[in-house]
Amino acid sequence: MEHARHVFRVLLVVAVALGGITIARGLLVPRSYGLHGPYRSDNVAEQASVRAPLHGGAASCATCHEQRAAAVAKGAHRAVSCEVCHAPLGRHVRDGQVIAPMPFERSHALCARCHRKIDGRPAAFPQVVLEQHVPGGVHGAVCLECHDPHSPKL
Amino acid sequence: MADTIPATGEAEAARAVPRRRFLADALRLGAGAFVILSGLADGEEPGEPYDWEAHRWAYLIDTEKCIGCGSCVRACKAENDVPDGFFRTWVERYVASAEASHVDSPNGGLEGFPPLRVDFAPTKSFFVPKMCNHCKETPCVQVCPVGASYRTRDGVVLVDGKRCIGCGYCVQACPYGSRFLSPATHTAEKCTWCYHRITKGLRPACVEVCPTGTRRFGDMRREDDPVRIAIERGRVAVLQPHLLTEPHCYYLGLDKEVR
Repeated sequence: MEHARHVFRVLLVVAVALGGITIARGLLVPRSYGLHGPYRSDNVAEQASVRAPLHGGAASCATCHEQRAAAVAKGAHRAVSCEVCHAPLGRHVRDGQVIAPMPFERSHALCARCHRKIDGRPAAFPQVVLEQHVPGGVHGAVCLECHDPHSPKL
Repeated sequence: MADTIPATGEAEAARAVPRRRFLADALRLGAGAFVILSGLADGEEPGEPYDWEAHRWAYLIDTEKCIGCGSCVRACKAENDVPDGFFRTWVERYVASAEASHVDSPNGGLEGFPPLRVDFAPTKSFFVPKMCNHCKETPCVQVCPVGASYRTRDGVVLVDGKRCIGCGYCVQACPYGSRFLSPATHTAEKCTWCYHRITKGLRPACVEVCPTGTRRFGDMRREDDPVRIAIERGRVAVLQPHLLTEPHCYYLGLDKEVR
């Protein structure tokens, strides 16, 4: 019996250690960890709802601005989404209510982002040399004097 | 007790609701409640819930169409609140000749590109949009010591901001430079293919605003998906294929200069 007590002590220590590890693991490891792999799978749903979508797409603009959308669809900028030149829908409308007016940038800088002649652009894409396109060079809002940004082809 | 029942019973009987009316009202109330409750249930779950097993997302970039306008970079920054000076997607400009080449990406292409002067005579130049390649064999996920980086069943590599300890191993492991440590949260951040959008049936913000059709997003689990067809039948390339990371971001018109 003297020897059995030694064995019992060792078993007791092992049992306490195992219990301690199990409790510590339960406290430290997140609930959904390991369900689909070595990660916390609750995070997938968290990522899916991390924020409300800000961009609505051109179709969402057409729900209120039907005529404008129809006009743009006929012009050379038909492939350019409204949000490219204006701002994301979420800055203008939230929960169906207008929260702020859409910004209008009239500066040539907006047009130049796509249409300034620089290295890198495909040759077939319409581009202008800012210094030569109009007498005195392209400056300020001069683009709008000839071009309608919604249907820019003259 | 026995006395009180008949005493109030008479007064009660005068304004008691007839059984027939009571039943009719109860039915109306029940039906109304049913309509309201079923309406609430509909409001909580519009359409089908998202099933990640039903999708395998893929991205296709046609570099020959890119005009370097930077709309994608601005849209990404707005959509995902990307901190200043950091990029989840960016655009690079390559200017090259047979002997020399030059790459620039001023502020990630956020405000477009200025004219460029190089000390050689370039024979070609083009833009290449870059972003997380959402690799199948992800170096970034492999090195994460805390299980914060992972790849979802629908093929998107994500970072669990609550688990991330900001050690930066993944930032160094990514061969495409797609990750950064956010100065706001001090955790790793990267392109999520706008997971909050694609799980609602929308396209990533960069694809939504691309004016030239350079950026396209599709589902490899859908047989009639145009992007899937383009990837399966077209001659597509991936960045740094020798690393065997198996990116799900495919390129058309990729040049040998592009890394």
